[in-house]
Amino acid sequence: MAAQGLAGRAPRPASAMAQERRRAAAGGRLIEQWRRWAPVVVLIGLCLVIGAFNANFFSTGNLVRLLNSAAIPVVLCMGATFVILMGSIDLSVEGVVALAAVVASLLVANDVTAIAIGHLAIVPALAVGAALGFLNGWLHIRLKTPSFMTTLGMGFVGLGIATAILGGVTVRISDQSFRYLSLGRPLGVPMAVWVAALCVVVALVIQERTRFGRWVYAIGADEVTARQAGVPVERTRILAFVIAGVFAALGGVLAAAQFGQGHALIANGRLFTTIAAVIVGGTALSGGVGSVLNSVIGVFIVVVLANGMVLMGIPPYVQQGAQGLLIIAAVALALDRSKLAVVK
Amino acid sequence: MSDAVLEVEHVSKAFPGVKALDDVSFRVNRGEVIGLIGENGAGKSTLLKILNGVYQPDAGAVKVDGRPVRLLSPRQAFDSGIAMVFQEQSVLSTLTVAENIFLGREQEFLRWGLIDKRRMNAAAAVELKKVHLDIGPATPCARLTFAERQMVEIAKALSLDSRIASDITILLDEPTSVLESREVELLFSIIRDLKARASIVFISHRLEEVLAICDRIYVMRDGKVVAEVPAAEATVHALHTHMVGRQLHHEYYREQRQSPPGDEVILRADGLGKAGAFRDVSFELRAGEVLGIAGVIGSGREELARVLAGHAAPDAGALTVHGRPVRLAGASDAVANGIGLVPAERKVEGLVAQFSVAENMTLSALGRFASRGVIRFAAERAEAARWVERLHVRTPSTAAMTGGLSGGNQQKVVLAKWRIAGVEVLILDHPTRGIDVGAKEDVYELVRDITADGLAVILLGDTLDEVIGLSSRILVMRDGAVTATFDAPAGGKPEQVRILEHMV
Amino acid sequence: MARIDLQAWLPILVLAALVAVVSLYDPGFFTIANLLEITANTMTLFLMAAGLTFVIMIGSIDLSVQSVASMASCILAVFLPTLGLAAIPLALLGGVVAGALGALISTRLRIPTFIATLAISGVVLSAGFWISNAQSIAITAEARDAWLGWVTGAFLGVPNEIWVGLVALAGLSALLQLTPFGRLIRGVGAQEQAVIASGVRVERVKLWAFVISGFMAALAGVTMAGRLGSGSPTLANEFLLPAVAAVVVGGTAITGGVGSIWRTFVGALIIQVVRIGMTFMGVSVFVQQIIFGILLIAAVAATMDRSKILVVK
Repeated sequence: MAAQGLAGRAPRPASAMAQERRRAAAGGRLIEQWRRWAPVVVLIGLCLVIGAFNANFFSTGNLVRLLNSAAIPVVLCMGATFVILMGSIDLSVEGVVALAAVVASLLVANDVTAIAIGHLAIVPALAVGAALGFLNGWLHIRLKTPSFMTTLGMGFVGLGIATAILGGVTVRISDQSFRYLSLGRPLGVPMAVWVAALCVVVALVIQERTRFGRWVYAIGADEVTARQAGVPVERTRILAFVIAGVFAALGGVLAAAQFGQGHALIANGRLFTTIAAVIVGGTALSGGVGSVLNSVIGVFIVVVLANGMVLMGIPPYVQQGAQGLLIIAAVALALDRSKLAVVK
Repeated sequence: MSDAVLEVEHVSKAFPGVKALDDVSFRVNRGEVIGLIGENGAGKSTLLKILNGVYQPDAGAVKVDGRPVRLLSPRQAFDSGIAMVFQEQSVLSTLTVAENIFLGREQEFLRWGLIDKRRMNAAAAVELKKVHLDIGPATPCARLTFAERQMVEIAKALSLDSRIASDITILLDEPTSVLESREVELLFSIIRDLKARASIVFISHRLEEVLAICDRIYVMRDGKVVAEVPAAEATVHALHTHMVGRQLHHEYYREQRQSPPGDEVILRADGLGKAGAFRDVSFELRAGEVLGIAGVIGSGREELARVLAGHAAPDAGALTVHGRPVRLAGASDAVANGIGLVPAERKVEGLVAQFSVAENMTLSALGRFASRGVIRFAAERAEAARWVERLHVRTPSTAAMTGGLSGGNQQKVVLAKWRIAGVEVLILDHPTRGIDVGAKEDVYELVRDITADGLAVILLGDTLDEVIGLSSRILVMRDGAVTATFDAPAGGKPEQVRILEHMV
Repeated sequence: MARIDLQAWLPILVLAALVAVVSLYDPGFFTIANLLEITANTMTLFLMAAGLTFVIMIGSIDLSVQSVASMASCILAVFLPTLGLAAIPLALLGGVVAGALGALISTRLRIPTFIATLAISGVVLSAGFWISNAQSIAITAEARDAWLGWVTGAFLGVPNEIWVGLVALAGLSALLQLTPFGRLIRGVGAQEQAVIASGVRVERVKLWAFVISGFMAALAGVTMAGRLGSGSPTLANEFLLPAVAAVVVGGTAITGGVGSIWRTFVGALIIQVVRIGMTFMGVSVFVQQIIFGILLIAAVAATMDRSKILVVK
């Protein structure tokens, strides 16, 4: 009988090809481990090096300063991480931050408008972020333009609206309870840090426990398979940009509270820091790999580096250059380039 | 009355220039394992795509449990009870086992809008048990072996079992190509267990395995079902005979123009190998020779062609051109050494659609058509016109956009490009794919012209027929190794069955 | 193909229409003197955008152009007193190096160009600050007359900037239309894999495209420094968006393979006329940013060849 199983014949030689493919997969597992732990190792290494150079690094005052510097970038990165996990990018961060800051500052007690709705101002600010994020996503999907172009344009639109509303004026916030959002110090730790911590928790829950979070990973890893499994790809994409907009707007609110001002310049340089932090933290640009926790580590790497440069007496304008080199190094080490046949 | 879980009735599907499926019918009964075999181009993958909802049939119907179904997307096919386990695995590495099993169907586990991981993991554990897979449902799939991933995919298919009313059919597409013998045995024992819950369609070119596990076998050829055999009564040889069988048309392949190769060895491969694709490939290629490489997907022949064209680097072995060892770090090295590739994906790698005919033809030899940094447009036009005439390219002019030409004429432009560049070795990767019959014959004429001019050709043919008809020598590959070499002189061509024996 | 024909003429028609509209609003707009001045003012933007055209035609982007221009102005201002004329090639060399680095990082490390050039722009920005010691550096009137007369003066009644722009237009156009390199730029943008398979060394083509972009950005910085009489690390701030917009609005598609320097010339003029027109019509400077952002998205969407992109990320 033919159907007697393969036992009746000489065993097929173990496929050499199968063995080689297996070896390649084992290599892939090692890379996965490296990707998970490299950023933490880098962070610890940095701290040790800087601490050796200047022991003040480890003083309580400096550590609190570090946490404070990290607060707003962490909030911004939470949203940016979801977008990058999908394989897209959001270059509109600065525009959203600026607009949200301006909107918030004009709605709390200030020296330009008579409106003073206190903490409620956060709601319209976040709504503005959500709206811009929605436009980012919707235009990207409808017009099929790459996300870097769409968000680049929207970023300028946001910045433009912010500057247009102000018409050259700088708003000074007089509502102290609003400013408490950033400057307050419950338990000796700046309020902004608490807000950022809450954002991390929320982002983590979204990432791990919602369908949206899982779908973001699926789309980033293999959009075709995700679509075939019935994942609503377009809706998820738009939602990711909306979430990024909301987090960016929250960052803008915190910035307005911190500086006590509403001004488009509040957003300067934040795009760079956000992208650098997400990438350096280990989230791959091609999508599907990484996590919001990675981005938190990434923010700390960037912030510690900046803090370290100050402690070592390096002029501030070198920062962007250093961040640039950091981005290049991080992406180069990310080891996921084999996926890209043609890099544009 | 009907025991049939899945039926395909008189399904046909045509694409421009080719009839992929011609009145195909088969049925899968409850608890059966059906084998589906056929050569490259027999229509298997088109049939699978229809069952998976990617294509829709032009005529005929697909029925599940006796009811006709319209499958407009893979998800619809899945929800109808047809689950496909792909050849290239579609398990997402960054998600856990449970998340992969229930991808897109998580709403079953929602609690207050959040996924209840415990419940999902528990449900996944139930499915994993069905396939005897002893791993935790929360394991990230990056850590799994190939065999384990395949089981996860099968578990995903089985998860339909308690969730839909109809019976499930699982389509296994070449499931054993990445497995070792031990794992194949394990898979087979699981399949035998599964027969209680689902019916299975087993697609493979490994005929021994098909005979071992299947109850009935359908053989496809040229888009038709040509035989239905109970496995108990079949032998490998009989299956081979069903798979081939078209008369070789000697004139179609211009066999009369085939001349014996010259003496000069242009290209030599010694022990070429590429991890995970092929190993220990050696051959000599002489001027005027057509070396055909026969093999199914997974045999390594496509990867071999890429390595010879310089698009991928080999991990072992050496290549010499005219006795000189060469290292091909990229396509530009290959071209510099006189090796050109006529690719399978013509529109992506063969031509720049927006370029004119003349611009495409001179693309590999631009240096020759420029003096002092400026392109010599007149010389370029003249040369292009010469080749348009010589190859009978049907185009309004040499300035016409190449994207507007028909497939056959586009292929001629690609060939002209390499003739103008003066290559000595041409690698033809599925050169007649997507070209209508008349144009195919033109291409065969051109192959004879090329070899008559002293070039050597390496041919990866679309069908076994084509390889036999055109080649003067044939290398047969299977699972990454060369299993046989045949001489194929004009008038003394080997039988298809003999070659197939070494291919599958 | 009708679409290409429309694309070819649309920008010029738009420009003509815009000039007509603004002239209706303010007849003083449509005088030779005024038009010449507007064109002269557009030239720095055009120079930057012209180089950028090569990069966009191959389907990449160069986000470092404005930092490069600023850095070049700093190099010029700092070294003009000591090196004289040699300060100009030095500044241009800075641009070349920045461009080359961006290309090499992208091709060798396989990083998308928008990240590579974003990173480079940070490095270049810091370099500019460092060279100028974080301040604006004035160029004395003598130095300007001695070495930068080719920027600030006039010839045959036409401001020199226009002559510089025309030379750039002619030279770069010839490069694009008449040389093998130019054809390969079109090819790489249209179907990179086919060009690779044809045996062309595509990394070199990309490298030269970015070198040209860096060079032209530096040239823009030098001319700007000449006109404004000083160099500063933030001199070219606000130029990135208009430069990209000029290329795209002129009709060059970011999907690559289609474009010309002429188009960028028209695109730059459109941007400038829109800007000036809006000011004439009382639209606030701040709203103009918004308009440009929208213009950019619209132009990209209109010129993109979607059949080339399977999955839009």
